[in-house]
Amino acid sequence: MDSSLRRADVQTAADDLRRRTLSQMPGALERLIYLASTRDYNNGLYYHDGLASRFSEIVACQALADCHREVFHELFECSLEDLVRQLDFYVESTRTAPGDLIAAWRNLEPYRVAVPAATDPLASDFLCSNIKIALAVWESRLDARLPRKPDAWLPR
Amino acid sequence: MIGLILSLFVGVGLLAILVLLARRGNPRVEGSAQQLVEARQTLDMVQLGLLPRDIVERIFATQDLEYVTRVAPAEVQRAFLRERKRIAIAWVERLRSSFVKLMRLHRAQARVYPQLSLRKEIGLGINFVALLATCGALQVAFRLRGPYAAPRMLETATAAAARVCMISEESLAFLKTEPLRPLEDRARGSEAV
Repeated sequence: MDSSLRRADVQTAADDLRRRTLSQMPGALERLIYLASTRDYNNGLYYHDGLASRFSEIVACQALADCHREVFHELFECSLEDLVRQLDFYVESTRTAPGDLIAAWRNLEPYRVAVPAATDPLASDFLCSNIKIALAVWESRLDARLPRKPDAWLPR
Repeated sequence: MIGLILSLFVGVGLLAILVLLARRGNPRVEGSAQQLVEARQTLDMVQLGLLPRDIVERIFATQDLEYVTRVAPAEVQRAFLRERKRIAIAWVERLRSSFVKLMRLHRAQARVYPQLSLRKEIGLGINFVALLATCGALQVAFRLRGPYAAPRMLETATAAAARVCMISEESLAFLKTEPLRPLEDRARGSEAV
């Protein structure tokens, strides 16, 4: 009885989180990075003050973990083309200079720590590999969009 | 004196045997609960982590290849193929090693549990061997010609793996216990008798 009640609470909290917070983020990649950032890497628990005050810490933690797994699965199912689109959304939302983001993501690979706990290693490896390729595709498209240097247009 | 030396030798020999036996660590008991748990975990991992259609379709999606070929420069295309090849090999290696593990556990179970049907076990054995051979061939194909080299062989392997999982599940079904009924139900049941 108690566990079913708690399950219902977790579902309500997860719905609340989806409606109030996650719906503001158009891309799944953005949602993944956000949800991963609510996790304490020292103990693997998720924290969200607003959600915890409306429900309880343990319910909030479970709801965040559920949403994190859900978003991971959503991204796993994305085609490469979709993933490149997600990167577009993400860069737009962070307002970081694209060149800086590419350099940071290539060196630090922050998406590797954004994977939910107990994810199958193959699934996590696959998504990280896809993000790496999506980043390369996105970078090549960015290069194509950037105006060329005036010298490049000079006739030889 | 000779007797003393002999008994000393025997004593040292016995001690050495004891030390050797102790150093073997925790010998695994065939048919033990630990083995059953491992079999269950391996089966779950294969059924939920490696074989679901959406996972296989995503890893070997030609849609991604078409996209990369259409929009990305040659170096990105090469990187994409390299990455997908690595993932494909990892997938088939995990599938293979899981089934090798499952096969060993089944062999051990077959020796211990007479309830296992011989026909089922022989069928399972044949399927195991066929599956491992297909996995081996797939591995070679992926290594030599990339992840999109053998789509039909891939289909055969996933179908065979699903079949083995099903037989394996059936074969171990007798180990499942019925869930406990609440006390009230049991009391009612005994009244009816």
